[in-house]
Amino acid sequence: MSAATLRSGEILLEDATRSFSVRADRGTTLKELVLRRGGRDAPPVRALDGVSLHVRPGETVGIVGRNGAGKSSTLRVLAGIVPLHAGRVEVGGRIVSLLELAAGFGREFSGRENVELNGALHGLGREEVAARMDDVLAFSELGEFVDAPVKTYSAGMLLRLGFSIAAHLDADVLLLDEVLAVGDEGFQRKCLRRISQRIAAGATLVLVSHDPGAIERVCERVVVLDGGRKVFDGPVSDGLLAYHRLIGTEHGGGESVRSGPTAVADVELLDESGRTRQVFRPGEPLRVALRLGPGAPARLDLEVRDETGRPVFRTTTEPASETLVFEVERLALLGGDYDLVAGDRVVRFSVADEPGGEGVVDLRGTWRAAAPETALPGSAAPGGGR
Amino acid sequence: MRYRYLFEQMVRRELRQKYKGSWLGVVWYVVNPLVLMGAYALMFGVLLDAVQIEDYPLFLIVGLIVWVFFSQSLLAAATSLLEQASLVGKVRFPRETVPASVVAVQLVTFLVLLVLVVPVTIAVRGTLEPELLLLVPLVACLSAFTLGLALVVSVLHAYYRDVQPILAAALLPWFFLTPIFFRVQDLPGLEGRGWAEALLRWGNPVAPFVESVRDVVYSGALPDGAALLYVAVASAVALLGGWWLFRRLQAELAVVL
Repeated sequence: MSAATLRSGEILLEDATRSFSVRADRGTTLKELVLRRGGRDAPPVRALDGVSLHVRPGETVGIVGRNGAGKSSTLRVLAGIVPLHAGRVEVGGRIVSLLELAAGFGREFSGRENVELNGALHGLGREEVAARMDDVLAFSELGEFVDAPVKTYSAGMLLRLGFSIAAHLDADVLLLDEVLAVGDEGFQRKCLRRISQRIAAGATLVLVSHDPGAIERVCERVVVLDGGRKVFDGPVSDGLLAYHRLIGTEHGGGESVRSGPTAVADVELLDESGRTRQVFRPGEPLRVALRLGPGAPARLDLEVRDETGRPVFRTTTEPASETLVFEVERLALLGGDYDLVAGDRVVRFSVADEPGGEGVVDLRGTWRAAAPETALPGSAAPGGGR
Repeated sequence: MRYRYLFEQMVRRELRQKYKGSWLGVVWYVVNPLVLMGAYALMFGVLLDAVQIEDYPLFLIVGLIVWVFFSQSLLAAATSLLEQASLVGKVRFPRETVPASVVAVQLVTFLVLLVLVVPVTIAVRGTLEPELLLLVPLVACLSAFTLGLALVVSVLHAYYRDVQPILAAALLPWFFLTPIFFRVQDLPGLEGRGWAEALLRWGNPVAPFVESVRDVVYSGALPDGAALLYVAVASAVALLGGWWLFRRLQAELAVVL
């Protein structure tokens, strides 16, 4: 391996193949080794099957796929934790991975001591860690908790500490596995700002996430894995679409949420210029484009649900043609993740957070100063205020 | 030596867990061999009256601290990688630091015991011999030997989970066959059986370490040349062999743990 040929931040994966043996009980014993020589285990499962990937410095790549598609294996291979059975992996520069919250933390140790330990784990020396200590602790916003043992921390606090450390190690390649999902919005935004600074300086980010919103916010390129193979590699909007198609095919034409009367072949969310999008801003125009499959649909339900699965909107139509459009002049939803359910199909989309309101529905109201009588015209009558 | 700081941090972490951060914790590990010494001295020296060795408790304690360092290091190292499974599976770092830090912590206890025992032996003998200087290379060799075997058992236990129990079961008979509470040449049952004596002396790699350290510390004498050579070769073979095996097997550690 000649890592010297790679620029820092560059990632090269060539025909990467890796299998894992599946056993119910982990770890064999010497006794078994002696007693059942030549005994056959279940055939190994290919977690990665000839995956090739070339990432240039400054790129942000999201890896999506179903459970067991090989996402985490890819990260662990890139991080140098798991070796390949065939193919080649090369990564240029310093790799910093955040694959699990608090992976390298000693629970009895204080936040400060864990910064030292984690810096050391990533190959930093005493002086290098000491030079970063104040920045890391300030970034983590943990206040006086930095001197408390981390076993007293909440998941959010662990994330703050873990990410603060990872963000200050001068990574050339930053590998993140879902971890960002834990933190609060404000801290997430701060993390993203910090990441984009590194990326502007030529670092590379590889992010694995189940949350298309997170991928779309952070990544410009998406790799879709399925069954250990790369099935898509390209711009983020097309990639997320490919991912949703993939999830759709798994259930034979859509995630069956109910046995509705209509078979919907395809659902897309488009913006005003007709581009497919996953993330919209509150108040934006939005178009739901539907193509119906064979099966003479008589009635079609369209429903929007919030993160908890609660319906926030529903409409029904009797389709007049095979292709339909549901036009929304301005999206009245506020920041969050939503599911659009069309017949028997589900499309997930996100609405970006914007200041001005919280909740689910954007009432589109404005604040202004007013004289008392205009503000409360029925103030004399009890209960007239609402 | 990019990872020297990591090693320091890992040792600190081990020390913290083992001693719970207090010197009282260290005291326990010092008391333990002393209790063993008392029990064996009472049993073999007084009740059974089986040995005619001068200052028998001192004779015992020197062998005991070597054995305790060796055996406790291996037992702790065997499970060390498993205990750090989340670390090994999620972060890339030289995995040797895990068993090595366990051995280093045991070495601290061993050195504390030596510092306590050596002045006592000097005081009892009443003389200070230059041979005592040999203790430094001997301890270095013993550490290398123990580290080499610790690397072996730690990586093997990660692959085969019965290594630690087998080791624990083997250590007890191993202890009794090691010349800790006897001298090989004193054993009456060995008379006329030269092969058995040779086996006890050279078949057990710990025996030359125990005898050499005891020659230097307890007797203030130069150890047997053959034993010194054995110690040097055994420590080099154990360290290089252990290192080689660990390097070969460590790549898959994140998968098997």
